[in-house]
This record gives sequence, C-alpha cells and structure tokens, in this order.
Amino acid sequence: MHPWLLLALALPSLALDKTHGVPPSLVSKYVPSTRGSHQTWTCLDGSKEITWSAVNDDYCDCRDGSDEPGTSACPNNKFYCRNEGHIGAIIQSSRVNDGLCEQECCDGSDEPSGVCPNTCQEVGVEYRKKTEAERKLRKTGSKIRSSYIAYAHKEQKRLEALVADLAKEIETREKEVERLRDIAERAESLSAAELERKKQSPLYQSLLVHHTALKSLQKEHKKHLEREKALGDILTSLRADYNPNYQDMAVLEAVRGWEALAGLPHINDVRKGDDGEADTTADKPKTEDDVEDEGLWNAAKIEKELDQLLKTDHVTLLLEYDQLVGPASAQSLLLDISAYLPDALLPSYHSFRDSLLSALSVFGIGRGGTFDSSAESNRARVALSDAEHSLKLTQDEQRTANEDLLDLFDPEGFGPEGEWKKLDGMCLSKDTGEYTYEVCLFDEAKQIPNSGGSGFSLGKFSSWNKAAGPGELEYYTRQHYTQGAKCWNGPHRSVELVFTCGTENTLLTVVELEKCEYQITGTTPALCRPLEDEHTKDEL
Amino acid sequence: MRSPGALLLFLLLPAALAFKQSDFKICSQSGFCRRGRALAARAQESSSSWHSPYSIDPPELSPRQPGFTTSVHSSIHPNVKFVLDVMIHEEGIVRVRMDEENGLRKRYNEAAQWALIGEPPLSNDVLWTTKGGKAKAVYGPKKDMELVVDFNPLKITLFRGGKEQVTLNGRGLLHMEHFRTKEDPKLAEHIESEGQSVLQVNPAAWFEGDTQDAFWEETFSTWTDTKPKGPESLSLDITFPNHAHVYGIPQHATNLSLPSTTGPTAKYTDPFRLYNADVFEYLSDSPTSLYGSIPLMHAHSATSTVAVFNALASETWIDIAHVEKGGVETHWISESGILDVFLLPGPTPTDVFTQYAHLTGTAPLPAQWSLGYHQCRWNYVSSDDVRGVQNRFDDEDFPVDVFWLDIEYAEDHKYFMWNKKTFPDPVEMTKDVEAVERKMVVIVDPHLKRSNDYPVYKRASELGVLVKPKSGEGEYEGWCWPGSSSWIDFFHPGSWDFWISLFKTNTIDGQWSWTESTNNIGVWNDMNEPSVFNGPEITMPKDNVHYGGWEHRDVHNINGMLFANHTFQAAEARTDPPRRPFVLTRAFYAGSQRFGAMWTGDNLGTWEHMTIGVKMVLANGVGGMPFAGSDVGGFFGNPEPEMLVRWYVVGAFSPFFRAHAHIDTKRREPYLLEEPYKSLLRDILRLRYSMLPVWYTAFRETSESGVPILRPQYVMFPGDEAGFGIDDQYYIGSSGLLVKPVTQKGIKEVSVYIAEDQVYYDYFTNHAHRTKNRHITLPANLDQIPLLIRGGSIIPTRERPRRSSPLMKHDPFTLRIALDTSGNAHGEVYLDDGETYGYGRGDVVWRVFGAESTKGKGKGIGTVRISSADLAARTQVGAYDPKNEFARSVGDVRVEKLIVLGLGKKPLNVVLDGGRELEWEFASEGGVLVVKDPAVRVVDDWAIVVKLE
Repeated sequence: MHPWLLLALALPSLALDKTHGVPPSLVSKYVPSTRGSHQTWTCLDGSKEITWSAVNDDYCDCRDGSDEPGTSACPNNKFYCRNEGHIGAIIQSSRVNDGLCEQECCDGSDEPSGVCPNTCQEVGVEYRKKTEAERKLRKTGSKIRSSYIAYAHKEQKRLEALVADLAKEIETREKEVERLRDIAERAESLSAAELERKKQSPLYQSLLVHHTALKSLQKEHKKHLEREKALGDILTSLRADYNPNYQDMAVLEAVRGWEALAGLPHINDVRKGDDGEADTTADKPKTEDDVEDEGLWNAAKIEKELDQLLKTDHVTLLLEYDQLVGPASAQSLLLDISAYLPDALLPSYHSFRDSLLSALSVFGIGRGGTFDSSAESNRARVALSDAEHSLKLTQDEQRTANEDLLDLFDPEGFGPEGEWKKLDGMCLSKDTGEYTYEVCLFDEAKQIPNSGGSGFSLGKFSSWNKAAGPGELEYYTRQHYTQGAKCWNGPHRSVELVFTCGTENTLLTVVELEKCEYQITGTTPALCRPLEDEHTKDEL
Repeated sequence: MRSPGALLLFLLLPAALAFKQSDFKICSQSGFCRRGRALAARAQESSSSWHSPYSIDPPELSPRQPGFTTSVHSSIHPNVKFVLDVMIHEEGIVRVRMDEENGLRKRYNEAAQWALIGEPPLSNDVLWTTKGGKAKAVYGPKKDMELVVDFNPLKITLFRGGKEQVTLNGRGLLHMEHFRTKEDPKLAEHIESEGQSVLQVNPAAWFEGDTQDAFWEETFSTWTDTKPKGPESLSLDITFPNHAHVYGIPQHATNLSLPSTTGPTAKYTDPFRLYNADVFEYLSDSPTSLYGSIPLMHAHSATSTVAVFNALASETWIDIAHVEKGGVETHWISESGILDVFLLPGPTPTDVFTQYAHLTGTAPLPAQWSLGYHQCRWNYVSSDDVRGVQNRFDDEDFPVDVFWLDIEYAEDHKYFMWNKKTFPDPVEMTKDVEAVERKMVVIVDPHLKRSNDYPVYKRASELGVLVKPKSGEGEYEGWCWPGSSSWIDFFHPGSWDFWISLFKTNTIDGQWSWTESTNNIGVWNDMNEPSVFNGPEITMPKDNVHYGGWEHRDVHNINGMLFANHTFQAAEARTDPPRRPFVLTRAFYAGSQRFGAMWTGDNLGTWEHMTIGVKMVLANGVGGMPFAGSDVGGFFGNPEPEMLVRWYVVGAFSPFFRAHAHIDTKRREPYLLEEPYKSLLRDILRLRYSMLPVWYTAFRETSESGVPILRPQYVMFPGDEAGFGIDDQYYIGSSGLLVKPVTQKGIKEVSVYIAEDQVYYDYFTNHAHRTKNRHITLPANLDQIPLLIRGGSIIPTRERPRRSSPLMKHDPFTLRIALDTSGNAHGEVYLDDGETYGYGRGDVVWRVFGAESTKGKGKGIGTVRISSADLAARTQVGAYDPKNEFARSVGDVRVEKLIVLGLGKKPLNVVLDGGRELEWEFASEGGVLVVKDPAVRVVDDWAIVVKLE
C-alpha cells in the first residue's frame, strides 16, 4: 500500500461542501477522523484511507467512488439533490457538471453554483398539481373499479346459482336418459337381427362406401381450401407489403402471378388511385359459372349441404325405406286412401287405419312385426340420443360455469378481486388511419384494413405480464396476445397490450416496434387500485 | 394455424434470399470485359512475338517543359487518330492522357474533373532528353526520378533510382476501341453467304480477335443495352515490376493485400470489378463490385511505394497477377472514357497518401459529434419510439450522440415528407434529442416518387433536372422504395441550387423547403449507386442519358459521389456562417472523402462479415476515404450476444461507429442485452467516448495529410515485409494505439504482430510487453480488448462517462505516458469547437505532450520531464492566437491525472516545474506511476518533473 503522499497542496479547489450530493441516509458517514495532525476519511467500502480534503475534490480516489458524491469524477456514482421546497432526487453522476441543468435537480445543485436557477418552488407546485390530478384520476378510476368488483361478486352469485340449477337439471336429465335407454335397448333387441340382414344388401354396402368416399373427399377438399386460403393470405400480404429491398424479380413475378390468378389489379395501380378495386369485384363472379351446367353442386351448395348429407343416419334411412316402399303388395289403396279423403275426415281416418293395420298384423296379413319393431327401435334411439345430447349440453354449461367461477378471483385469471371480469370479451378499437386495431379482451386482437378486406388475427390472449408476479400491480399492466397470423418471412403476429389506470376503457396508441410485433397502449379503470393500497405498500 | 404446406414454404425462403450471382454480371457476361480478357489471352499465347500496335510521333520537346502532347498511331487502324498527353506535376506526379482525335463521337473526359480538387500544378523542375526512340525526363529533388516514354511501341515507365516502378503498356495490352459506324447487318450477312469467295481477311485480328463480340447490342438477363455508340472500351496494362503487394481499389470484400485474379496464383476466377452496385446480402470474400469505386491502387515493396490513380468513371474490371519475379501485373478494362492515369511516385506509403490527397483532397475535419456512437435501425417507427429509445439510453447511462431515421419516417417514401401519423411532431422530437446535445440523422435517397403531390419531384420535373431515358427525352422511370420513381441528375447544374434550397429550414421565395427540420440534422444518402430495383444489375440502364448527353455508362461510378457532394453543400448552406455538415453515403468514388463518411453497406450479422468489414474499412483508408465503418451487429440477421459484443469493439475502433439493423431483425439496442453483455457494451461505448480526443486528433491529421486514420502494418512499417499481408490489426492515427479486434467466435487469446524492437503496454492492465519472435500474446476473453500502447506514445483521454460527446467539453484529461525503451514519449491533442469552421481562423487548442528522460547513475532513468507545449503556435494555424475564443472557452479544462508507464522504479518525488510537489502513487508490481490531479490547464504550457534519483 502506497498512501498518497500529502505535500503542499494548492489546488484551485472547487471547495465543495463535503456532503454535497450525499443522500440524507449517508450524511452521517461524511465526517473526518483525526490522524495526528491531519484529518482523514475512509472510503465507504473500507478499501482506502484518504485525506479529508480529498473528499469531493473532483478526483476519484476510492474504488467505490464514495469520495466523490458531489462531482462527476467517479463513474457510476449517484448524486443526491436536496431540492428544498420539493422532494429530493437521485441522478447519475454522469449528469453532474455536464453543463446541462437536470430537470430532476430543481435546486440546480448538479452544476456549479450560478449555472442553474433554483426552480424548486415552481416545480414543487407543478408536481403537487400533477400528483393531485393523478390522485383524482385514480380515485374516479378506482370507483369504477369497485363497480367491476361488485359485478364480479354478482357474477359469482349468478354462477353459483346457475351451477346449482344446472345440477338439478342434470339429475332430471340423467334419469330421463336412463329411462329412454331402457326403452331403446328393449326395442333394439327385437329389431337387431332383421336390421343386420338388410344391411347386407349391396345397395346399402355401396352406400356406405360412397359415404366414406364422400367424407374423405370432403376432408381432402377442406384441407385444400385451407391450404389455398393460407397460400392466398401469404400472397396477399406479399402483394401488399412486399419489400422491394429484396430486389428480387422472383418476388415481383410471384406478385404479378397472384394478381393474374386472383383477378386483382396490379398493386401499384391500386396505390395510385382507388378505382382499381371496384373493377375487380365486377369481374369476379364469372369464374364460378362454368360448373353449374350438369346439375352439379356449386361451391355454395357444397359448403351448405354437404355436411348435412354426411350426417344422414343410414340405418334410419334403411328403415324408412322399408316403411315407404315395403313389399309391392302393401302399395295398396288402403295405405294411400288418405289422398282421396277430405281433410276434415283425416284424423278419424288415421286412427281407424292404425287400428286396422295393427289388427292386420296380428293376423299376419300386414307386413308383420319386423316393420313395427324396427320403426319403434329407431324412434327410441332418436329420443335417447336427443336426451343424451341435452344432458351433455347441460353438463358443458355447468363445467363452463364452474370454470368461470374459478377464474373469477384467480390472480392469474380475472385478478384477485375479479376486477377484470367485467372486461371479459369487451372489444376496444383504435383507428390508426390505414388500419383499425381491435382487441377483444381476454379473447383476440385483430388488425383490420380500413380499405376493406378481412385483416389478420394478431393473436389470442395468452398471458399477463410474465415479468411480474400474479397479484402485483405490474402483472396486470400488460396482456399478451400471441400466435396470430404468421407474417411473410417473419414471426406469428403478436400484441403486447400495455394498460395504465384511466377512467375509460380505451386504446391510445399502436406501434409495430418489430416486424409483426405490436405494442398497443390503453387505459382501463380496472388498473386504478384504491389510493390506500399505495400507502400500505409504502409503509412496507 | 397455417397448413404445413405454408410452413414448408417459409423454411425454403432463407436460401432464396442470399446473394444472387445471377443478378450481377461476371466478366464473361460483359462484352467489353470478355474482349479485354481475350486480348490478354492472345498476348499471353503469342508471348515474345506480341507487340503493341500503338506508337507515337516523337514529340517536339524543349528540355524544361513539364510534358508534351503528340499523335498516337495504331498499326491496326492506321486511319484512326489518337492523341497522347504526358505531363509531370509537382511532387513528381505523372499524368498520362490519351483520347481519340476527331473521332465519330467524343469519349467521356470529365471523370478527373469531378475527382480532382483542381488542376494539379505542373512541375517546373524537369529535364527532358530525346534519344534512341525514347523521351526521358529526369526530375525530383534528388534527380533520381525518371520518366521514360518509348515511341514504338508506346511504353511509359517510371523509374526511381534506376529501378523500374510502374510501366504502362509494357505488356502491350493498351487498346482504345475507336468509334465506328454500325455495319449494315444485311450487308454483313451477304458477305458471309458469299462464303469463301469473299473471305474477309481482318488484318487486325491478331490483336482484336476476329469476331465483333458484343460491339453493338448486348443483353443481360431480361435487359438489353442498346449501346448506341458501339464499342469504345479501353484496355491498359499497368505493371509494378518490383512490388510484390498491391492495395486499394475499394470497394471489395477481400484481403487488404489484393490477391491474384489471373495466372497460376489466382484466388478468384473473375477480375476485381468497379461498378457501384446495390448488392443484396453480398459475399464476404469475392472480387465482385460493391457500393463504391475508387480506382486507386498502391503497389508496395520494402523499399518503395508507388500508386496509380486511373480516373475512369465507367464500369472497370481489373485483373491482378502476382508474378514469380516478385512483381505485380495488372490489367484494367473499362467500358468507356478517355485514358487518364496518374502515377504517384511515393516513395513511401505516407508520400503516396499525401500525393493522392493533393489531387483529390482530404476528408475535412468532421463535426466532432459524428465521432460518437450512432444508433440506427430500420426503423424507429415514431417520434415516441425515438424518445423512448433515447430515454432507455439515458436510464442505462449508455453514451450515444446520434439517433437515425431510416426510410419509414417518410410518407410513402417521399423523402423530407414526414409521415404525420407516426411522426406528428418532427421538429419537437428533434429538439428533444438535441436538448441533450445529441443529433438526428435522417435519410434522403436520390429516387423521387413520381407523384405530383410531392413538391420535390414536382419541382425537379418542372426544372427538367431528372435523368432521361435512352431516348434522351422525358424522365427515366424506374422502381425503388416509393414505387415508380425518377432520379435527379446531379450532373445537371440546374439541380444544384434547387437541392440547396430544399434543405433550408425557412421558406424562401415561396419554394417548398424542409421547414420541418433543424439546422443540426445530418443526412444519410443511401441507394445512390443508384439502386434501381427493376434495372439491370439493380441499377440504371447504361443507355440512360445525363446532362450534356453523356450516357449513364460514362458516369456511373461518379453518380453517387455527386449526390453526397450536393447534399453536403446543401446541409452546409443551411446556416451563415456555415457549420460542418454530416453526410453518410453508400456509393462513393475518388474524391468522395471530401463530402463525409461512408459505410460498408448492407452486411450480414455473421463472423465472416465482421472480419471482412475490418479489412474493407482499412482498404477504404488506402483509397483516401478514411471516415468509414461497417454496421455494428450486421444489417441482416440476429447476432448472438457474443458476436454483438465483439462487433461493438470493431465499431468502437472504427472511424465511423454506427449500429444498424434490418426491419426484420429483433431489436438489439445495447441496453436490451442481458448481463453480462449489457455491461460489456456500456464499457465499450464509454471506452470509445473516453478516446474521442485520440480520434479527433487523428481526424485533424488526416484532414491535412490524407494519411488514413486506421493504419495497417505496411503503412506504419513500410520496410517490414512480414507485415505487408496483415489486415486484422491496425494503429489509430499517429497515437501509438494498436488494436486487434476479435472477429471470431470463442476466442480466448490473440497474437498481435509487432514489427519493431519496442515495448508495448497493455492499455487496460498497463502490463509492459517486450516482443518474443515479434509477437505478443494477449488474453482476449469476451470482456477483454487486445489494445496496446506503443512505447513512446502519450494518449490523451477523457474518462468521465457522459450522455453525449458535446457534454464532455469541460471534462478534464487523463494522459497515459507510455515511455519507450529510452524513457521518452510524445503525443498530441487537438481540440476545437467541433462544429464550426472557426478552426480555419485559428480557434483551436493544439498541444504536444512530451516526456524526456535523463540518464541516471546506473542503467535506469534519472528524471523524466513531462511537458505540454503549444503545437498550434509552432505550426501557425490560421491567425492563431493562444488566447483565441475557443481556447478561452475551455480555459477551465485541466489535466486530472497522469499515468506514467515504464519508469522501472519508484520516484523520489514529482514536482510541478517551478512550483509545488504533487500527490502521486506508485505500484511497484507494474511500475506504474499515477500522478493525482496536477491541476494544470490543458491550454497552458507546463512541465512536471518525476525525479527517480
């Protein structure tokens, strides 16, 4: 150790107060020790003993910088300005004596005296005004927030009641299912053998194959449609956003090819004037005409009716077929007589017919037991499946209600006080000129072009702010919407929604900081925690 | 969710995005290059029987004239007349010009006019004699220079001390294709169909070949060049018989010492090409042309350096062959223009730099803030984004001087026109940045959106100053960022005042001007090759027409320089008195150094690109354009943290220090990194700022001498052959700092080559290294920078972290005094206000620091006297007065610390000369003396004596 050799020191010293820049908590440490005839001081980290005059002499002696609290001599130091009349502030030492008056130091102590005016009076007034305004905002906001919490409690009650009601309903429905199952099983045991025999018919077998083929075709078709849409989306966004910096004629060719295929005008012409788009809509229908001549289904019909067709219950059909056609002999006057009867007589005729037919069957004259028992079993089966479906719906409803109940006060769901429940599914939007951004809270964020068109999903709600813990205020200041539509040559679109406390639920700004990663800011009363919260926090 | 098919498509994309050779010509796809190489091949085959068909009439010479003009004859085209002009200028620079005389058309002869700062003065110290078919000029202060012109065949050779330095047409490849009329193709067919009966014997075939290869029309990919003037190419061989290394001809992604492109030692198959081009994702090792072209080549040996400046503006291909005898043969093939070659006689690299600087000028002293750190990205998307980035820099205490805006600030890419949706308050935003003494740089590209609601285009169109298509009528229309665009023709004098008027921040005469800007905004000129997305080789068709009727092919390589030139003038003219503007250009040419900085274009975030970026910046310095850098982090891609840290070191030790990133990349501002990387970047930025006095002092020197800022081994030690090929370490100006940035992954230590028997000190540990086998091994973990101080140097730094460089104006200095083996050292610091031209009037502080030792009783040092003296007074800068306005404004600036390296033992005392004793501390293990705050002022003369015995 080689201590500084102290010799006749005649520095044109700044003569700073030794506690200049020292925060109140450390002021007590800035006192000299007496060592023989001179005064010394030890660096706060204890690494070195220096002369008392070396404190705040604008030269960095201590490794921890503690000897220069009031100058910029030591890097990474903190400087404390007292700001009397306002509140004290800490700034980085790189701001001290740099010729600029720091806003944080309204007392001007960051620069040599005389350089910066003391504005603490005005700043203090301004600050108090601002804090008061903020306090008011918080107060109003937190009132709205309490109404959200009240809503959540109401929701809780409603859901609890709902769950109880549903439980009862489920009980009833379960019994009903039991009863119907019993009937159906008995009816089926009678008709099963006969049905099996009929299923062997080549027509039925062929129908099954057709059914499978159609179903496969539909699946493939859907896959292709999806794929075509995906490719269309890629090409559409390529066309809209393609980046000439790639200087790639292949990209240009792709855009032109897509435009020709999709019957779109060249994007360049569209950008020149807006008349281009109108033309294309007029052109479009043409392409779909050709198909219809041979009575074939068009795309709309396929879309609408194919599913229905595929859901056909073939067993029922088989049975209905028998009912309709029967043996040739049954195509009798008796069965068709209703056509000749006046309407007024029909009901009585039907009851007469039914009793007659049952009598005939008893005597083995009619089409016999198979006919009746099959129809019976079929009806029973339909009734059972209807009842089962209703039961499932009710159970689902109950499960959802239960889940909602759990989410309601879950810190990772709608907040510990349920304050976010009110906003569930609420859609907020922001028009930025070219696009409108819409966020349906806890659901999905979208970008919709104002010029028309479908737009893109920017993602579905996935999480709160992961950088903070559930329950902390910070946690609820950010919502993440992820896995939106994929960008051409980029990631899946996503949104970071940044909320601050405000009296309204609204979106303020939208920026795309990185390609396809959006930051949306907004306000909501849900974030306005009551003022008392802060105080308790401060005390901790 | 997308279908798997769509995902597959994305996986395939990256491969499709890389450099596309097919977008750019190789020599065999370029008619005149093919012809040029075929000529060289014929010469090679005929070897000894080959002779140049060109000869000259013996000139009429009086002995004392500086040069002569005479007629040139071509034995293969006896009816075509040429004229040769040979002149000797001051400093022994030789200029050789040759043109066709009274030809059908005129060859482009204005390239030199744009490159040179004026007519170079003629020498009055020459003695000519004519004897035995040769004219010989003897000149030079030692009369050891000789220029010998052989008449038949024509050959021009420069000798020094009887030794051949440069030879023109020594290999007989000189060929100036004369203008001719296009033969009627029907007639030619007719002749052919007649067959043997009219067998045309072409007497020139032995030299020119017997096919008219691409004389008239030429198609590349889908573009056809109509070539209305027909063949007019120029071939010239330039040989350096006694120089084994050649350097220069930027811009290429290759070694500093240029490898062969032909012959048995060839590294590449194609010649080096000079044809300014916007090359997407360029290769990191290739002779292909890039964004700029400087046709200056140094040839170097242990005893001599010479250079050739071939003032050509058209597309030029250069074959290089290192030959067995230890010389270099080069062959320059250009598409059009007169022959206009300058021979720079050296004899040292420093001489060559100065000679070239006297021809084309030096880089002016830049605004000091432009040496700070530049933060760029494509794009900061809004005014609030800019403010947010600035706040993060401040919160994290990272110094930065400049925030940049790329093209997305401009509505529809109409430069100057702010997108008000995202930048509603551009002036307020700029002022928020300037409030911390920072600056903004905003991009202005040369393509103008063809839209009548764009006042810049509208006015340019009205003035008729846009580049014309091949018809010579109307406006050329090409595709660039804004879509359909036109380009200002800066060769048109009518565009000059117009361009200046645009940058005015107040409205004058009701004309539109950039009132939504401030006088401090710097300008970024990108895409000025020019880049044309749908043009041949991503640039303009060569048959486009410029002012004066010149074709684009004639002026292509100069085009980008004129844009930066006029932007520089426009930015300078914003204020009266003018202030130093900052302009960054991507395209450049000889002389571009006068108009600002350049960067190495759109590099990739790879280690290879980091490595080559260092070499390219060195080569640019050789080319006279020292204010250069490569984009830190790489433009494309997402560099890993290790790479980013190393790249910041590369940037911190480049004259121009900017981080930039493509729009598709993740944000990577230095504060975004995790620890420990974040703190490493903070330290690197602070290191750069602490060294700004070194950089600024180095810029002052280069602004006067033209000697580059980054000095490779051959420049520092021209006699040390082992260093001639080294291009991964360099010295910074005359400071004595030697750095070897790490540009590879996972490095733990590096070996630094040392050319001399001198002590070098580690900048950070102060450890004194004495070389073993001429190498010093330094640890180079990620937190270590291989940076050495050459013994004998004094390094002035300012060690206090600040937010921006202007805020350091009153900060004290630290001096690192690195004693050489005999106990001496010296260094300089140059200061001025950093933004005006007051330095020209002597408003400067320019000090020289010295350390002189007296011998002690034994082997060691007795005393060391460290002193400061006024260098400005010694060299008389302008009307220098030591009490000038600037000096007074920094009168409070002191030297706060001296770090003396190499003392050997503990001093007895340290005394301010003629006064008090000073506080000091001595660490015996490293032998480092630290003198605490001597409280001497930087503007004063002072001396401090360290007494050891």
